[in-house]
Amino acid sequence: MDGAPTGAPSSVRRAVWTVGGTGRSVSAMTAGPTRARRFAKFRIRGIPGFILRRTLLGLLTLFLVSVVVFAATQALPGDAARAILGRTATPDSLAALREQLHLNEPVLQQYAHWLSGLLHGDLGRSLAANEAVTQLLRNRFENSAVLVLLAALISTPLAVFLGAVTARRRDSRFDHGVSVVMLALAALPEFVVGIALVVLLGTTVFTVLPAVSLIPPDSSPWSHLNDLVLPTLTLVIAVSPYTARIMRASMVEVLESDYVEMARLKGMPESKVVWRHAVPNAIAPTIQVTALNLAYLAGGIVVVEVVFGYAGIGSALVDAVHNRDVPVVQALAMLIAAVYIVLNVLADVASILVSPRLRTSLQ
Amino acid sequence: MTETDVDQAAAAAGLTREQLLRRAVAGGGAALLAGNLAGVARAAVDAAPKRGGTFRIGVSGGSAKDFIDGQNIVTRPDQARIVTGWETLVVFDSQFKLRFDGLAEEISPNKAADQWTIRVRKGIEFHNGKTLSADDVKFSLQRLVNKKLGLFGGAALSSVDPARIQKLDNRTVRLHLKQRDGTILDALGQYVAGIVPVGYSPNAIGQAKPNIGTGPYKVQSFAPGQQSVHVRNPNYWRSGQPYFDKVVIIDFPDDTARVNALLGGQVDAITDVPPAQVAVVTGHSGTKVLESPSAAWTPICMRVDAAPFTDVRVRQAMRLIANRPQMVAQALSGHGRIGNDLYGPFDEAFARSLPQRHQDIDKAKSLLKAAGKDGLTIDLQSTNGALGMNEGAQVFAQQAKAAGVNVNVKILDSGPFYGPQYLKWTFSTDFWGSRNYLSQVAAGSLPSSPYNETHWPDASHRKFLSLYNQAKVTADRTKRTEIMREMQNMEYDAGGYIIWGFSTLLDGYSSKVNGLKTGDKGVLPLNAFGHGYRTIWFA
Repeated sequence: MDGAPTGAPSSVRRAVWTVGGTGRSVSAMTAGPTRARRFAKFRIRGIPGFILRRTLLGLLTLFLVSVVVFAATQALPGDAARAILGRTATPDSLAALREQLHLNEPVLQQYAHWLSGLLHGDLGRSLAANEAVTQLLRNRFENSAVLVLLAALISTPLAVFLGAVTARRRDSRFDHGVSVVMLALAALPEFVVGIALVVLLGTTVFTVLPAVSLIPPDSSPWSHLNDLVLPTLTLVIAVSPYTARIMRASMVEVLESDYVEMARLKGMPESKVVWRHAVPNAIAPTIQVTALNLAYLAGGIVVVEVVFGYAGIGSALVDAVHNRDVPVVQALAMLIAAVYIVLNVLADVASILVSPRLRTSLQ
Repeated sequence: MTETDVDQAAAAAGLTREQLLRRAVAGGGAALLAGNLAGVARAAVDAAPKRGGTFRIGVSGGSAKDFIDGQNIVTRPDQARIVTGWETLVVFDSQFKLRFDGLAEEISPNKAADQWTIRVRKGIEFHNGKTLSADDVKFSLQRLVNKKLGLFGGAALSSVDPARIQKLDNRTVRLHLKQRDGTILDALGQYVAGIVPVGYSPNAIGQAKPNIGTGPYKVQSFAPGQQSVHVRNPNYWRSGQPYFDKVVIIDFPDDTARVNALLGGQVDAITDVPPAQVAVVTGHSGTKVLESPSAAWTPICMRVDAAPFTDVRVRQAMRLIANRPQMVAQALSGHGRIGNDLYGPFDEAFARSLPQRHQDIDKAKSLLKAAGKDGLTIDLQSTNGALGMNEGAQVFAQQAKAAGVNVNVKILDSGPFYGPQYLKWTFSTDFWGSRNYLSQVAAGSLPSSPYNETHWPDASHRKFLSLYNQAKVTADRTKRTEIMREMQNMEYDAGGYIIWGFSTLLDGYSSKVNGLKTGDKGVLPLNAFGHGYRTIWFA
């Protein structure tokens, strides 16, 4: 049951690894500095140089994503006017709406407009809502960000703690018990967890928490903490097992290493061995996984948002795809790609900072 | 008014002659008095309505394309919102009969039924304090039929000539129709035919005007795809109403979340309880399900001018294949009534006397054999437009196997389904709301109809057209009913629809909500959203 840290079993999450692109393992990164040494004359050395290079690469990735996103959304079947009107479409209303939405412009011109708009912070107008995309998504972005942030703040320390403790007590009953529970929770889809929590705490068994999270459009989620409990709990249950298992695997490896043995032989108290020496060294892979989990949450909390009627960007994306609302789809795809890239750069930098070996190899 | 006029108007309005006379003579006073008496009678049963509270309703569907327009809807939440602020000249009552209980105190035709005179009540105010006048009615009707705006209610009013709407005095206008039209009152009673103030354009970019009507609540805030807040209109013309201080309308595209919100007490009512969840809602303490029989239907449509359905025997065989009770039981989870291949069951001219069609596989097989189509294989296109479309198609496909017919159900995304092929599919499903017979014929069963899926009538039933034109201008009710029966006979024998059932509206509400009535003939959910949230209140 000491599964290697391969991320998540679900296909959605497997896709995360490939979509993320920059989510390389720590060992793969050590190849970089070798080349860096060779071209040392032309490069900014050390950590600032590393950050700079990763940022530029990130921007390049973002540009490529913009091309792909634009091409892909143009290839959506059907036309926006018809999708918006659905059954109520008549030739008259279709023509009227098409004209209103400027759907007749050439594709390249639309891309040029869109890209320059993007660079100026103007994401266009939603075809369905006939409202500025930024206006439409501002609240939803804040809502989703708060949810992801809360889930991350709770699940990461919890997972690190659980991983460390189970590794420390490897093969004990406690370890096996936690492993079984973690695997079971990881195997449950989010909506099952969400609905179970609703039945337990919202509607049927106890009615202590709101069953759905209705954040009024004009107010901040922070003033509705009550509404945040169930969705946050669902997300924590959804992502913690992965991080905990990776933390455990990496802790097990570290606890068997020579320096831990050394520390123990020195007569250091076991708690100090674990928390001062082992955990900091085991945490690097965990940072990577946490970053990917967060990125996954940014685009993937749609299920949780739907179950709880929570107005976030995930449900906005589904809605927009359904309506063929191209500007909103493009804006959200870019936003989610940007979140992936930023989180990956941050994770790489953080991994370097916590791993002395990598840190020194950059000098 | 001559006697014939009265009969004509009464017939068209679906009122008795006495009712119409009383209203026409006594005008608004009598209607208001009648309204108050009804209110008193109801109060005796339900205990007096109480003022106050915020009513929160969870509505199915909805998305960023929601809007609030007094004369247009696309999504279910649009329906829930339009009734808060906008009212029509005449209204359909709980038995789907037209009543002069709306903004007009009188609407009467001339002898030829090609000129209609509308007089609105005195002293009704828009939300900004402006008094409702003939100019507003004229503007509203012109806006409704303006093809550039593509408004939902426009099609039914196609006989109105927008250039010839004449203002007679401050409260009276006269419509000159392009041709005679006895269904004009039906069209004016549609909930999408709301009366708006002159210059109304709430959704125009950059030049939007305040979104106002004459209804019981004013729009306070609106976030498409999320929620809207409506506050009580203190100057509302029906005294005492409405009772709530505020109405909050919340979009819930997800069925589970909507039901959970009701069970958890976060909303006071929800529309469209999924049939599978009815037991959950009724079993939970403090929540109930409201059942309203509707005349809404999800037909299977056969194109009468495309092979293999050009042969009337194939159409008849298909209709005999349908096991209707089983379809209602499975596709609608039993929440509906079986159909007899005829639409408009709420219409008083509905042909109830025609024998109920039952499944008859042997007869279906022999009809198919006679037509040379035994062992037929055919695609049936469907989409998730309304509950019953996909489900009905799938149950039908199962039943068809018994007759050796191989029906391949193709479930499409709404984009391709309603794409260029829409109304050209040979064999497809669709959905329709509650309408009276002639209005439905106009909307879906004539060459000029906007949504004629079956391309009815075919060459051998052209008489249907002349019967329709005759019925539309026939003032005598008995005579008109006779013509409509003949039309229904033709559709019963040779039409292109398989109308296997009519759905029941299932809505959920908290038991602290008073004033909802079971068994209302439903067009809109929850007794037309508590008639614009004005006939319901908190206990």
